[in-house]
Amino acid sequence: MTSKRSLWMTLLVVFALVVAACGGGDDGATETTAGGDSPATTSGGGDTDTGGSGGDDVTLRVLIHQNPAFTEYMEAFNADFEAANPGVTVDMSIVAPGDMATSIQTRLSANDVDVIDYCVAPCAGFSNAIQPYMTGVDKPAWQQLIEANLIMDLTDEPFIQNFDEATVRDAVSFDGKVYGINMGRNALGGMFVNQTLLADVGLDIPATWNELVAACETLEGEGFACMTQGGGDTWPIFVGSFGLLGAEFPDQEALSEGLWTGEIKWNEGEALALIEKFRVYATEMLEPGVTGLGHDEATARYAAGDVAFLPTGSWQGANLDGFEPEFDWTYIPFPGSDDSADNQYLFGKYDLSFLIAEDTPQPDVAKAYLAALSDADNYQAFVDATGFIPTQPAATLDSTIGEAVSPLLDNYRNAFEQIWVAPTGAGQWANAWQGAAWFAPFNEFEDAQSLADAAQADLEAGLSG
Amino acid sequence: MAIMNKNYLFGSSSKWTRYAPVMLLVPGVFLYIMIALGPSLATTVYSFTDASGLRGAPVNWIGLDNYDEFLFQGAVSRDNIDATLRTLRFSVLVTFIQFTLGLILALLLNQKLRGRTFFRTLFFIPVILGVVIQGLMWKLFLQPRGGPMASIFETFGLQSEFLGGLPGPAFNWVIVVQIWANVGVTMVIFLAGMQTINTDLYEAARIDGAGGWELFRSITWPQLTPAINTNFLLNIVGSLQAWQLFLVLLGYKPGTQVLGYLVFAEGFGQGDSPSFRQGFAAAASIVLFLLVLVIGFVANKYVNWREERYMG
Amino acid sequence: MTQTTRMSEDLNPEAPRALAEPKSVTVRSRQLKILSYIVLSIFAVFYIWPLYMLINTSLKSFTDYLRDPAGVATEPSLANFTEAWELANFPQYMTNSAIYTASATIIFVLTSLFVAFPIARGYFRGSGAILTMYVVALFLPPALIPQFQLILNLGLYNTRIGFILLFLINPIGMIILVNYIKSIPKELDESAAVDGASYITFVTRIIFPLIRPAVATVTVLHAIGIWNELILPTIYLTNEDYFPITRGLIVFEGVYGSNWPGIAAAVLMLMLPILILFMFLQRYIIGGLTAGAVKG
Repeated sequence: MTSKRSLWMTLLVVFALVVAACGGGDDGATETTAGGDSPATTSGGGDTDTGGSGGDDVTLRVLIHQNPAFTEYMEAFNADFEAANPGVTVDMSIVAPGDMATSIQTRLSANDVDVIDYCVAPCAGFSNAIQPYMTGVDKPAWQQLIEANLIMDLTDEPFIQNFDEATVRDAVSFDGKVYGINMGRNALGGMFVNQTLLADVGLDIPATWNELVAACETLEGEGFACMTQGGGDTWPIFVGSFGLLGAEFPDQEALSEGLWTGEIKWNEGEALALIEKFRVYATEMLEPGVTGLGHDEATARYAAGDVAFLPTGSWQGANLDGFEPEFDWTYIPFPGSDDSADNQYLFGKYDLSFLIAEDTPQPDVAKAYLAALSDADNYQAFVDATGFIPTQPAATLDSTIGEAVSPLLDNYRNAFEQIWVAPTGAGQWANAWQGAAWFAPFNEFEDAQSLADAAQADLEAGLSG
Repeated sequence: MAIMNKNYLFGSSSKWTRYAPVMLLVPGVFLYIMIALGPSLATTVYSFTDASGLRGAPVNWIGLDNYDEFLFQGAVSRDNIDATLRTLRFSVLVTFIQFTLGLILALLLNQKLRGRTFFRTLFFIPVILGVVIQGLMWKLFLQPRGGPMASIFETFGLQSEFLGGLPGPAFNWVIVVQIWANVGVTMVIFLAGMQTINTDLYEAARIDGAGGWELFRSITWPQLTPAINTNFLLNIVGSLQAWQLFLVLLGYKPGTQVLGYLVFAEGFGQGDSPSFRQGFAAAASIVLFLLVLVIGFVANKYVNWREERYMG
Repeated sequence: MTQTTRMSEDLNPEAPRALAEPKSVTVRSRQLKILSYIVLSIFAVFYIWPLYMLINTSLKSFTDYLRDPAGVATEPSLANFTEAWELANFPQYMTNSAIYTASATIIFVLTSLFVAFPIARGYFRGSGAILTMYVVALFLPPALIPQFQLILNLGLYNTRIGFILLFLINPIGMIILVNYIKSIPKELDESAAVDGASYITFVTRIIFPLIRPAVATVTVLHAIGIWNELILPTIYLTNEDYFPITRGLIVFEGVYGSNWPGIAAAVLMLMLPILILFMFLQRYIIGGLTAGAVKG
């Protein structure tokens, strides 16, 4: 009697577990069940290996970050790839950029992914490398991954040759080895200009800081907004000011080293002047209410036509086209300096890069996937879809954003966020290159001096510790 | 049988019945040790290492370095201590406001009112909607550009950027949403407590000429002791560990971080220049643990004292 | 007054007594009632308005929304709903959430019943120590990191079983059960033992019905916790087919982040079945949440 009852209890528990394990599979289509099973089998090891070499069905697990134009391209690309490789299913997950690091960390550790789009903040390839003058700082995430042997060495793969040498060296190499393909550059330090609106109010495109300030006054006098921004997401506020930072300090490596050695102080001279310009940009140039706009939402808002400037990355050009704006626009370096000669550098970054997991059970399929992405025709389609500045010598950028950006490419430089690493122990205000996001209405600072003083104090706390 | 106390009463007849309690106890305790206690102890060990959480990455014993960095190094320790104090502030404000509002709502709804069920259901709805929907609703409600709260503010001549603006107000809005979302639970627990109070007590006191406040102070409050204690503990522990609303409403915004979020951000590579630092995150979570422990201990003492005083 | 007495209230055992009260009290209580309604209505505004806002937004086109976020939808359309429905697999997310919540809650309640009873009775040596262990668990550090390593090493990462495993404990629930069982007279055990009842029969047949209120409370508290969990699915589940609602929705928000009307439509579609279910079960949910929490 008793044992019967406990048997019943055990059965109930087992039943609950069984329901838990396969309940969803019953409801989902057969396809979902297959996709769902693959991670479990791969962590088991052998099964999937034999599956791969035997030419049976293989699932390639791809992890990418969300960006409307890019995501759309990848979906079309996957369909083509599946068609060209019978038996291969691409299981692509799309995550928000902020969750990329978490997903990469957990899924690589669980050996639950084959191809990753390495778009960990600041989403700029192998950026923020430790420089000789930096001491005691944490290794960047990509270096941690490589040193943990989680990323495959692709140095000898032929498809690497499709990309220009400088890109391969600067964006996806470490210690003499190549670990991925970089899909393109993006300008960060520029701004979209609504030419139709400027013409309507009788303004030329501003070439210096003073002209920009004057243009904003004129525009506001006419009832238009000067600039909009995705202020609700915080990062667009300071990314929008990278051009300003670059115009003031065209040699950004020198700025980074100067801050580390103490030759440059945030609260003195040019740096202080820069922070004052951050203030003007954040509190006077941006239209009221941008704290409620997300990054993509700001582009939609800009497409409405009554805002003159949108300082953000050039990748938004493709998305702006998607909103079909009824005005002519172009993209110019942020006119941050009073000397127009300093306003012609295009600050940017190497954007997303594809890497392969070292322990992928299907290395050949994963390499074929990267090879297909690198293929000249596919790459041209990628550039057309996303508006990225090509990193393959043969590709061209024909869109509006391409026309605007091409003449500036000789003056391309890496933006400060790809160079700077804060000393360990430095406080949060030491990253004053993000200072535009700390002024009211976004954060607590009201004047340049107090922000600059806080920044320098926090920086020195790290340098001396 | 050595493992059982002498007062164990059941079945001396067969071996099976003697072992039954032990065998049935084991699954629960085993799960508890595996999922809660074990990992928690392991967290302590982790906190003395530079573990990154990456498979294959070397793990080195670094002693108290993580604690040193968290508590004492440079200006970042100031940011961490700010986050700790902010966690406390969040917990204290949420606990007391939610407790008070829940009590007020319960008192109001304990009357014979038409539409009582409606109100009770309405205030409870956010609980079942979950943190993501709560967050999305309030993001929309707090749109600085023409959102409903913005227009309420406007009629009073006020202006705010709400969640996207200064860290202070943004933080306070999270408190508002946290209370809005969870006051329903506090309320129904109080309501249930009030239903168990014998109405004869009120009758007797009324005959003695006691007024409303008098009735509350001398009967409702002491008689509510179990409900008060449950709510008090649920609110304290819940609010100290709650940070998901911060994730949904604010993201990792300077000046608003709380400890729970900091642990997640450091350990799982969130933030501006992420690196994977699970050892450091573990140290931060031990600090959070000590905080909860001290506060929980004090709260528990208080609860026991109340129980002895009012319930004998 | 007759209206008041006709209230169809489940929690109102003393309703008829109001008739017997003296008149002056009635007048005062009427004033009090009006005041109560005012206060309750002010609160209610902040619960209804966000709901209305959600519905209104979901009926707008994106351009209309950008032009005037709060204005009433002039050309209401259901386009957002069809679009959101096609973009995300909401029925799957709902099913997943239901599976996780139900199975983890059942297992938790069953296993903890057999821990709570002997501990409450002190039938083991070291019962007190076990109870202390659970009280300590209330304050334990969030063990996200070792838990992750554990699930990974068990090969349960990104599986339903691994995810459910994380929800099989609940120290508060255990403490509520233990306290409630303590309030049940021990003489019951003695007489049952004298009658020759076995341990399991006694616990399942006699104790279980008696502590049903506490079990209900614990069930509801535990289920709400799982239903609302957001972080653990972010860490443990990468396959979209396994996502619970919370994770599915936040991914949807991330991917369609700027399109508030679309998000509002998605949120409403997810809310509707939850709300309907809640309307049917609310007596049990609210009753369950409270019954065990106020005793002991």
